[in-house]
Amino acid sequence: MADLPSDLVVAGVAPAADEAAVARAGGWWRGRLGVTVPAVMVALIFGLCFIWPIIGPVPPPTGGNILNASLPAFSPGHFLGTDPVGNDEWSRILYGGRASLEIALAVQAIGIVLGGLIGAIAGYLGGWRDATIMRVLDVFIAFPGLVLAVAIAQGLGPSELHTIWALSFFSVPASARISRAATLQLREQTFMTAARLSGTSFPRMVIGHIAPNIVPQLLTYALLGMGIIMILEGALSFVGLGVPPPAPSWGNMIAQGQSTISADPRYVFLPSAALFITVVSFNLLGEGLRARWGTQ
Amino acid sequence: MSECLLEVSDLRVDFRNGGQVVRAVDQLTYSVRRGQTVAVIGESGSGKTVSSRAIMGLLPPTAKVTGSIRFDDIEMVGLGEKAMRGQRGCGVAMVFQDPTRSLNPTMRIGAQIREAIQTHEKASRGAAHDRALELLELVRLPAAQERLQQYPHQLSGGMRQRVMIAIALAASPKLLIADEATTALDVTTQAQIMELLRDLQQRLGMALIMISHDLGLAASFADEVVVMYAGRAVERAPTSMLFSHVRMPYTRALLDAIPRLENASHAPLAAVPGQPPNMALREPGCPFTPRCPNSTDKCRSQAPAFEEHEPGHLWACWHPCDDGVRL
Amino acid sequence: MSSTSAPLSAPLAARAGRAGRLAGSPTLAFIVRRLLAAIPVLFGVTFLSFVVMNSLPGDAAQELLGAQATPAEIHQLEIKLGLDKPFLTRYWDWLHQAVIGHLGHSLSSGQSVASILGSDLPVTFELVGFAFLVSLALAVPLALVSARKPNGVADRLSMMFSMAGLSIAPYVLALVLVYVFAVKLNVLPALGWVPPGQSLGQNIRYLILPAVSIGLGLLCFYTRLLRADLLEQMQGEDYVVTARAKGVRPWRVLTRHALRNSLFGLITVVALNLGTLLGFTVVIEDIFGIPGIGHELLQAIDNRDIPVIEGIVFVFAVIVVLLNLAADVLYSVLDPRIRYGRPTE
Repeated sequence: MADLPSDLVVAGVAPAADEAAVARAGGWWRGRLGVTVPAVMVALIFGLCFIWPIIGPVPPPTGGNILNASLPAFSPGHFLGTDPVGNDEWSRILYGGRASLEIALAVQAIGIVLGGLIGAIAGYLGGWRDATIMRVLDVFIAFPGLVLAVAIAQGLGPSELHTIWALSFFSVPASARISRAATLQLREQTFMTAARLSGTSFPRMVIGHIAPNIVPQLLTYALLGMGIIMILEGALSFVGLGVPPPAPSWGNMIAQGQSTISADPRYVFLPSAALFITVVSFNLLGEGLRARWGTQ
Repeated sequence: MSECLLEVSDLRVDFRNGGQVVRAVDQLTYSVRRGQTVAVIGESGSGKTVSSRAIMGLLPPTAKVTGSIRFDDIEMVGLGEKAMRGQRGCGVAMVFQDPTRSLNPTMRIGAQIREAIQTHEKASRGAAHDRALELLELVRLPAAQERLQQYPHQLSGGMRQRVMIAIALAASPKLLIADEATTALDVTTQAQIMELLRDLQQRLGMALIMISHDLGLAASFADEVVVMYAGRAVERAPTSMLFSHVRMPYTRALLDAIPRLENASHAPLAAVPGQPPNMALREPGCPFTPRCPNSTDKCRSQAPAFEEHEPGHLWACWHPCDDGVRL
Repeated sequence: MSSTSAPLSAPLAARAGRAGRLAGSPTLAFIVRRLLAAIPVLFGVTFLSFVVMNSLPGDAAQELLGAQATPAEIHQLEIKLGLDKPFLTRYWDWLHQAVIGHLGHSLSSGQSVASILGSDLPVTFELVGFAFLVSLALAVPLALVSARKPNGVADRLSMMFSMAGLSIAPYVLALVLVYVFAVKLNVLPALGWVPPGQSLGQNIRYLILPAVSIGLGLLCFYTRLLRADLLEQMQGEDYVVTARAKGVRPWRVLTRHALRNSLFGLITVVALNLGTLLGFTVVIEDIFGIPGIGHELLQAIDNRDIPVIEGIVFVFAVIVVLLNLAADVLYSVLDPRIRYGRPTE
């Protein structure tokens, strides 16, 4: 199996299905549908979570009145009802989404930049430096990711920032692998040799030549990874870490809702549904892009 | 039982690629008699491989085949998948170019040959094993018993090609198609394999279609030659007639391109100038026009018809060559 | 194949290679080389875990003695527990004890870590193993059916469902399952565990929901992966054309030719995926109250029970590295190109 697909898959990220071959047989319109629809959904989700609370009539997600506790859906002023301490559920979903998305974006961004750089350097330099870097990364990948994240977040205490650091331990090595493999492929091309021969300095090589060519692959991978990172953030919340209540994130909403699941399952199902829809959209978008561009 | 084993008439193969349609084979017509050897010669992209795969129905689902291919009085175009499978291996068989990739790397040689046998006859494993042994001896593979237990990567290129031939012969086909069967081999092995094929053909009374870009090879082994260019047949004649009275400027150019011993050393190789045309763009007129020394305006606007201009010799050209070529 | 490049222990590996070849088998050389390559990773992983555990703020000694303890008492306990020695010394001491199985004792319960692991590991193994095997067993036929007619009805349906299955968080699935089957329908238990020794039937009852929570994601993942590889084989590989040219029926081409080659790819990926899998097991065990390694780990982290944490992380890490190694070895044993070495002329 080629190096690249296993790398994408090594982080346990995302479906590794190669739609390119099948898409070729299916005609071009399928590719269109595969990207536009999920892209619109992702845009919608971002819009709702980031923009709508600013411009629309959304009550604050915390500091609710205990007298309004546990109102059912479609109550006046609270279209999804309220949580057991009186906060508006719809607002919690929106703000929770913002928190979860922010975390995932930050983690993936760190992954692309840091991981991309590390992988590109390793791939470009080759030899023992490459081997050492890869060996170190192997250690991080071999280490059970969630356990590491749990330990780190626990050690630093729960907060949005610490969650980001913890999850970065996961995204950086995975990103580095992609970047390294892509760089290795790139290295063989003639324009690279030409640049090398004309004495281009090392940082220039990486930033000017390698980066622009591997960024599309890294971006596609990052998109595909958004889903799993959001799911992992939820898992962290489950074990008492992640974003600390009362500030909502989908993860901690699901975790908190667990205790009242028999009485009022919507506290679990609403954020779960939101998470599910978001993850599906990201996955479809990532796959659609991959099929469209034919990259692995 | 007609004289003609295979009759290809007006064969057209189109490929749907995204929104485009590419015509890979256009109005191809030729025939093969029992026991005859026909060479189909052309550059890459000339449509020679596609046309041969069409005979066996081995094209991908994006291909659309029209026209007629009559094999042993059965119409192959539009034949149902089940009936087609019955013909594959048993009526028509194929030997491919790259024996490295054409054999399953994780399956023993013996198993692969037995599969070819057992697909068409009800034979016990033991009987199939014996027949496989016979086949390997037929293709002159030494240490046949051991080879059956080995994997493809343990054999050399020439040996693998012999195995491919053995597989192709397993169900005693009436027609064997050798698609660039010797291109990937070194010259010595090439000669050996061609000799083997000729020998087998004579012994088994099999017809043979050899697909190649090597006109020299055709000269030594074929009874009749079909020259293809840009998906069309451009010249067709019995071998001796083709070489003694070459008509198509393209064929002429191919002949001139064959390196000869009597040429001065370091004399530049006469390559055919230019590139084969882009098959996605169909222009009126003869497709060889941009590279043809004899071309005129008429060639650019009107495509010549592929007709029998002399007994047994067909070509499509407004300004054919007149002289013969000694080989 | 695993993407680890030229091993640092190259000269050692070369000698191992020669030794292996002398022993008459290229596979042995390959295995030995892989083993040697795994050692630095093992060191790295154990070291990393040691670093992480010891950087957790919050004093273990303090935790044990409570808030009333005086600094003197805390210091005494630290000396007793050996927590005052330099870092590397502690790492080395711990490591060579761990390797022989002396993993210390729990700071909170006093029980030996080894025995804790001994009772917890089998539980986690059963859960993960069951989920894994069933997922794999189901994924193969599903992928075959999908690949048989790409873009056909069965394929489209299976791709849709697998996409959905992949996008559900395992803990979400767990909660949904608990709600439907335990709360509403009351047919399966929401919490707890019965060991198979006690009652196999009950064991299975408690196993189903957690195993499905983990297994569904795996199933979807493996199905897509296998399907993609199968399609790649069927559409791109020459030996498939040869098989068709022999007149072999399409189903047989898929199962006897393409599947063999695709399963190789699967082995590697499965091994590489293990880290994430173990991670989710932690959460699932927590939700279902299953007394396995994950549950134990969470409790230990809460209690700052360093020896237990280290023990568990050590075992986790070793398992992951060994499983990766096993995958490599399996690959080499199954792939005849490696097993039988270079061609004979």
